[in-house]
Amino acid sequence: MAAVRLKNVVKRFGGFQIIHGANIEVDDGEFVVFVGPSGCGKSTLLRMIAGLEDISGGEIAIGGKVVNDVEPADRGIAMVFQSYALYPHMSVEQNLSFGLRMNGNPKADTERRVNRAAEILRIAELMKRRPRQLSGGQRQRVAIGRAIVREPQVFLFDEPLSNLDAELRVQMRVEISRLHKELGVTMIYVTHDQTEAMTLADRIVVLNAGNIEQIGAPLDLYDDPANRFVAGFVGSPKMNFMAAKVVGNDGGAVTVELANHCGAKLRKPLSGAPPAVGSEVVLGVRPEHFFEAGEGDCDIAIKADVAEHLGSVSYVYASAGASAGASAGPNPGQEELIIEREASRQRANGDHMVVSIKAGRSLLFDKSGARIR
Amino acid sequence: MRYQNATAYRFLAPYLLIFSIFWLWPIISSFLISFQATRTVPWRFAPTFNWGRLIGDPAFFNALKNTLLILVIQVPVMITLAIVMAVLLNSPLLKARGLFRFAFFAPVVVGEVAYSAVFRLMFNLDYGIINKLLNSVGLPRIDWFSNVTPAMGVIMIAVTWRWAGYNAIILLAGLQSIPQDVYEAATLDRVSKFKQFFYITLPLLKPIIVFCAVLSIIGTMQLFTEPFLITERGGPGGGTETLGLLLYRQGFRSLNFGYASAIAYTMAGLAIAISLVQLWLTRDPK
Ligand SMILES: Nc1ncnc2c1ncn2[C@@H]1O[C@H](COP(=O)(O)OP(=O)(O)OP(=O)(O)O)[C@@H](O)[C@H]1O
Ligand SMILES: [Mg+2]
Repeated sequence: MAAVRLKNVVKRFGGFQIIHGANIEVDDGEFVVFVGPSGCGKSTLLRMIAGLEDISGGEIAIGGKVVNDVEPADRGIAMVFQSYALYPHMSVEQNLSFGLRMNGNPKADTERRVNRAAEILRIAELMKRRPRQLSGGQRQRVAIGRAIVREPQVFLFDEPLSNLDAELRVQMRVEISRLHKELGVTMIYVTHDQTEAMTLADRIVVLNAGNIEQIGAPLDLYDDPANRFVAGFVGSPKMNFMAAKVVGNDGGAVTVELANHCGAKLRKPLSGAPPAVGSEVVLGVRPEHFFEAGEGDCDIAIKADVAEHLGSVSYVYASAGASAGASAGPNPGQEELIIEREASRQRANGDHMVVSIKAGRSLLFDKSGARIR
Repeated sequence: MRYQNATAYRFLAPYLLIFSIFWLWPIISSFLISFQATRTVPWRFAPTFNWGRLIGDPAFFNALKNTLLILVIQVPVMITLAIVMAVLLNSPLLKARGLFRFAFFAPVVVGEVAYSAVFRLMFNLDYGIINKLLNSVGLPRIDWFSNVTPAMGVIMIAVTWRWAGYNAIILLAGLQSIPQDVYEAATLDRVSKFKQFFYITLPLLKPIIVFCAVLSIIGTMQLFTEPFLITERGGPGGGTETLGLLLYRQGFRSLNFGYASAIAYTMAGLAIAISLVQLWLTRDPK
C-alpha cells in the first residue's frame, strides 16, 4: 500500500504540452478518480504514473519514493487497460500467472496468488478458456485478476468499463468498489463518465484540457464546484446555465436579471466581492433544483418542448417561455433548460409552466467561468 | 431470388469462360495427357508410360533432390530473415520506414532476367564483387558456377534476396495487428523485450508465419528462373536442376508433353502434401 504524489507534472508530446503542471496527492488506500472529457489527458497522466510514458517535467512519487526513473515493473503498480490487453494466445490461468512465471516466482506461491485472484473475482471455472471464449465482463475480470496477482501497492484503471454494456457496467462498478474495500489498496481510476466518478470515488480529480479544474469529494464537487466547467461536468443531467446581468448591489447581495426570461430578477446573497453592476454573469441551476411556482425566490415561465419520463422522475426539456423579442443576447431564445419534475403523465409537449429558482440552490459564475461566491 | 442468381452468373460469365479455357481446361487436359504416350503419333493411352518412367528416372530424382534441398535450407533461412526484417521495420526507433519498406519490396518487381544477370555478374569468377570481397579479407575466391555446392548456394542466396523482403512485408502487417497494449501489459509484468518476442510476438505471429511458409514452399517447388538463368539451365551438369527445369526440358525442349504433365502433377501434389503437413504440424492445440 502506498500514497501517490504528483508534483508539477508536465507532459509534452513533441512540441505540444498536454499536461500543464499537475499537483495531486493520493492518500494511502484512497480511491481517486480522474475524470474529464475525451482528450483532456487522463490516460496520459495515468500512464505516466505507470511508467508507460516518460515524464517531461515535475515529479511522481509512489510510497514516498520518486519514481521518475524507475522501471514500470518496479513501481509497485498494476494497470487494467480499457481494451483488457489480455494475452490472446494464453488461457485465463496462463494470463494470470504469466508475469510471475517469467520472473521465476516459486510455483507454489504463483498458484496461491492465481487461486486467490480467481476466488476474489469468481472466475475459477474459466481458468482453461482463452480470452476470445469469454464475454466482455469476464475478460474485464481476468484483466483485473492479472492486476491482483501482482499484489501491487497501487491499482491503476484506465476506463475499464467503457467497453461493457450499461447493465454490466453498473455491476462491475459495484465489484470494483467491493474489491477496493476488500484489498484496501490505493486505486486510481480514469473515466470520462461522471456517474462512475461520483459513485466510485473517495475523491475526484476533474481535468480539462490538461489542467486540473478541481479536486474534491464527490458531493463537494456537486455542491460547491470551483467553476463553471466543474459545475457542468458533475451531475446528470447537466446543470443549466442562464445568461444574466447584474442590475443591483445592496451590499452582501446582488440582484441579477435573467436575460432570456423576460427580465426575471433574483436576489443572490454573496460572501465574497460582488461583481460590478452592469456586468454579464451566468446563473447555474441544476435540473433537480427547480421548485414549484412561488416556492423559490424567482419565478420563470417556460414552455415544455419534450418530456422524458424515466419512471421515478420526468425531465422536461424547455425553452425560455414567452420571451419573443425580449433579449438580443449571444443566442437569444436559444437557452434550453432541463428541469426535473416529479413523474407525471400529464406533462406534454407545448405545455406552459412556471418554475421557481432559489437563491441558495443556484450558483453564479462570471463571464470567464470562475465562480462568484 | 433465382433471377438474381442468374444475373450474378451472367456477370461472372466472362471470367468463368476465360478461367475455363486457360485454367480449368489445361488442368484437366494435362492430367489426361500425363496418361498418354506422347512420343508417338498419334498419342495413345498408356497409364504406365510416363508414371512408370517417373519412378525409375534418375533425372527426376536428381531434380527432386535438388528442389527439396533448396526447400529445406532456403525456406527456413528466408522466413527467419524475414521475421528479423519485419521486427526491425516495426521498431519505433527506425527512421525512414517508408524507404526501407520500399527497398525490401523492390526485388519482387525487378525483372527476372535483369536480376539474374546481376547475380551472375556478382558471382563471376574473375570480376565478381563477391570474389573480390572474399579476396580482400584474405579468403580464396570461389568458382561459383563450376561446382555444385557453391552453385546451389548462389541459387539459395538469390531466391532469398528476391523473396525475403516480400515475406517481411506480409509479416510486418501481422506484427502491426498485434495490439500495443499487450506489450505494455507485459512490460508491467516485468517481461523483457527479448522474452516478449518469444512468448508474445512469435505465438501471435504464427498464423502469418505459416502462411508465408506455405507460400514459399509452393514457390520453391516451382523454382525455375534462378536455375534456368543464373546457373544456366541447372548447371553444372544438372547439379542445380529443379523439378520446374526438368519439366521445361521435357515439355518444351523434347516436346514430351505426357512426361512433362506427369512431372507437373507430381510437383503440385508434393507442394500440397508438404503444405498440409506444415499446417498440421503448426495447428493450434485445441
Ligand atoms: N503518443 C502521443 N503523441 C502525441 N499526442 C498524444 C499522444 N498520446 C496522447 N496524445 C494527445 O494527448 C492528449 C491527451 O490524450 P489522452 O489519451 O491522455 O486523453 P484522455 O483524457 O485519456 O482521452 P479519452 O477519454 O479519449 O481516453 C490528446 O490531445 C492526445 O491527442
Ligand atoms: Mg484515455
